[in-house]
Amino acid sequence: MDFFIQMIVSGMSVGAVYAMIGLGLNLTFWTTRVLNFGQGSVLMAGAMLTAVMVGSGVNVFLAVGVSLIATAVILWLVELVSVRPMLRLPGSMGWVVSTLGTGILLQGIASWLFGTQAVAFPDVLFRSVDTVEFMGAYISLQYIAVFVISVLIVCLMELFLRHSIWGYGVRAVAHDRDLASLMGIPVRRVVVFSFLVSGVLAGVAGILISQVSGTVDPNFGLHLLILAFVAAVVGGMGSAFGSLAGGLILGITEKLVGGYFSPAAAEVVAFVLLIGVLTVRPQGLFGKRETVKV
Amino acid sequence: MKQLGQFLTNSWTLGALAIALAIGASYADTGTVQMWSFVVINILLAQSINLLTGINGQISLGHAGFFAIGAYTSAIVLKSWGVPFPIAVALAGGLAAVVGYLLAGPAGRVREFYLAMMSLAFGLIVYELARELRGVTGGVMGMRGIPSSQIGTLQIFGWTIDTITYFRILLAVLIVAMLMLRNFVKSHYGRAFYAVHVSEIAAGSLGISQAATKRAAYAISGGLAGLAGGFYAHMIGYLTPESFGLMRSVEILVMSIVGGLGSLAGQAFGAILFTYLPQKLQAFNDYQYIVYGLILVFIFTLLPKGLAGLLKTQTRYSKFDQLKGMDSGAAVAPLSIKRGDEGGDADTPLVRIENIKMEFSGLRALAGVSLDLYRGRITALVGPNGSGKSTLVNVVSGIYTPTAGSIHYKGQDIAGWPAHRVAQAGITRTFQDPRNVPSFTVRENILMGAHRRYRHSAIAAALNTPQAKREERDFLLRVDALMRAAGLLDYADTIMSELPYGIQRLAEVARALASDPELLFLDEPAAGLSEVESGLLAALIRLARDHGVATMIIDHHMDFLAELAEEVIVFEAGEEIYRGDMDGMRANPAVIQAYLGVEELAHA
Repeated sequence: MDFFIQMIVSGMSVGAVYAMIGLGLNLTFWTTRVLNFGQGSVLMAGAMLTAVMVGSGVNVFLAVGVSLIATAVILWLVELVSVRPMLRLPGSMGWVVSTLGTGILLQGIASWLFGTQAVAFPDVLFRSVDTVEFMGAYISLQYIAVFVISVLIVCLMELFLRHSIWGYGVRAVAHDRDLASLMGIPVRRVVVFSFLVSGVLAGVAGILISQVSGTVDPNFGLHLLILAFVAAVVGGMGSAFGSLAGGLILGITEKLVGGYFSPAAAEVVAFVLLIGVLTVRPQGLFGKRETVKV
Repeated sequence: MKQLGQFLTNSWTLGALAIALAIGASYADTGTVQMWSFVVINILLAQSINLLTGINGQISLGHAGFFAIGAYTSAIVLKSWGVPFPIAVALAGGLAAVVGYLLAGPAGRVREFYLAMMSLAFGLIVYELARELRGVTGGVMGMRGIPSSQIGTLQIFGWTIDTITYFRILLAVLIVAMLMLRNFVKSHYGRAFYAVHVSEIAAGSLGISQAATKRAAYAISGGLAGLAGGFYAHMIGYLTPESFGLMRSVEILVMSIVGGLGSLAGQAFGAILFTYLPQKLQAFNDYQYIVYGLILVFIFTLLPKGLAGLLKTQTRYSKFDQLKGMDSGAAVAPLSIKRGDEGGDADTPLVRIENIKMEFSGLRALAGVSLDLYRGRITALVGPNGSGKSTLVNVVSGIYTPTAGSIHYKGQDIAGWPAHRVAQAGITRTFQDPRNVPSFTVRENILMGAHRRYRHSAIAAALNTPQAKREERDFLLRVDALMRAAGLLDYADTIMSELPYGIQRLAEVARALASDPELLFLDEPAAGLSEVESGLLAALIRLARDHGVATMIIDHHMDFLAELAEEVIVFEAGEEIYRGDMDGMRANPAVIQAYLGVEELAHA
């Protein structure tokens, strides 16, 4: 029973982080219809910078702050270099190549600066030995903190998207870029804004996930990115809550299957889940069906 | 540059190059020839993904899955069951094609991001299975001892195949595959693949089933990747799941995109570049990923059309070039003459629309409409915006399923049939905004209209059999006749998106006529046309009428309609408020009230 609870809690924790990564992907996808294949490396960059800075004695808050600014700037550059030029070339799918290229470039720079070895991630939130007892199971406080912070951020994002002027801007651009532009919405700025926010979300997610996994290395990120894709798609691309639901379903399933059967089976389950959901609901569990206009 | 491009894509040049390589292989060292073989396999993979993603528009992030299925299938049947090499490779392609066909079922309904993820999931499931099914694939330890050319253990009917012979076989396979692909892409199948990519609705209106088209694309693409996998297995003799991971899928996609999606020649360039690039980059040691990343980031800023853009040649989607010099002296009728099935009775309606109701979640767009249309007669449908005119066309053409009512056409109730089936049955429509394929020429667009009338099979199209050539030539001649009638001959080989709006409109109507329809719906065809263009349009519509086509025109130009229509029907709020001749309509108080309005008296 306590093993079961531990699996559930760790599943919820990583699932909430998947949701946050998925939300970051979602934001830039909504505004540009481009899927950022380099996002995994942005997670890595945020975690790596924090780990290295804290490791060399920088204050934790300062390190996190600088890392988040760095990830936001990285995504701003991604928009400028890898996304904006491609939107002028519809049909070429050049964005696949250019966003993937930024990911590889970041990985290359990280390995060059910090080496290819895994770096231990410092205890930013509690210590890994801090636990609370719940129904006989010892649960790491780090897991709980990561879960709470992720859920909080996802909920704040949902509120922000629904009720703030920038949120309206993002949704308007997502709905119809040309129409939004005609209505006087500064599309360019909304797009850049969505990339900056997506960068911050990626940075936070990278730091949180490294906190529970304990280490970070230049190649980390791609696998997370895939799982975040799966979470976003299972939940439906339209809503932040969809991402959260998708993330939690995926995280818990993954941990349970991984814990009781094998980690390899957990991987397969995630993808089978994805295909299963899309076969029944092509728009994801909570996504709105796209209506095709005649 | 353009001449160079044409020279490089010329079949004779390529043939000479292939022969040179086949002979040259004897003089090169084994390592070099092995790399050439890798290039060929990568070209096959790039072609495979280009057909699916570049031409049919279905993103695939899981192509390594098909590649893996092919590789393991061929390796297992040859190693464990002793199936001869050619059959083993064919089985590899066949099984991968079947998997592709099955995958197209769920993937066909899924779009964009979702589709990319679905294909990614497929690729990763295959990868995980390759790792976990130790008894079948050898698991993470890999599968060893596969008869291969590299170590000289591969035999075909007693002949030992070395690396050089293997390369020659691969080269021959590649040439045959590329010629077949070229013919296929230039056939009505290729046009249908691309039409579904551009607009599923427009494709449906021409009788192209998007589901069937996607299934075909997945099956052929999967089969080709599986074939490449089979050849890969017997080239290196050792398979490990790590060769079929996500990065492999991504690499295949990158090859194809950088080569230039849609271009067959570009795929070869992309494959060559990405086979050699990683090797060359090793010279940069620690910086190799940085350099690789920079290349990927900036390649499209430098080469907006991919490597294929350097050639300055475009893929053309008809066999016009191949069939040039065809006999164009004989006069060809643009349409066939239609007679009634029951002995040419012009008073039997071709279609009988009865009490059609259409509601959208409570909103009533059509409140029980009944009307008949007859062969060789033009009926005008007018009314204010939102009165349900286009909705009626959408219901009859199968885009909407009516809430109630029936549509009797040639003895069947076609209400609720899918759009492509309605179009196949001979009912063609145009759209309020022209739905041409922007990157096709006028000729290709109109030729696409003839889709429903093609009879030759995909194999015949790929092999360019005499039947396929004859059919394509006949339709090209009919398209010529239509373009002559529509005054479009001057623009025949111009790209559609470069032409003015009026010409695009005329081309869309000509495309509708190319389907040789029994029943034709034109949704505001004269909107935005110049006077000259309106004249050409009217001539086209009369041409259709004189060949016995039943025509319904929706438009707001009363003078244009008055010249053509025998009967006019007026809709208001989803109901018919008038039916009769033009003069009667102009005098009808209800029509004036609802639609025409009262002319201002103070003209001043």
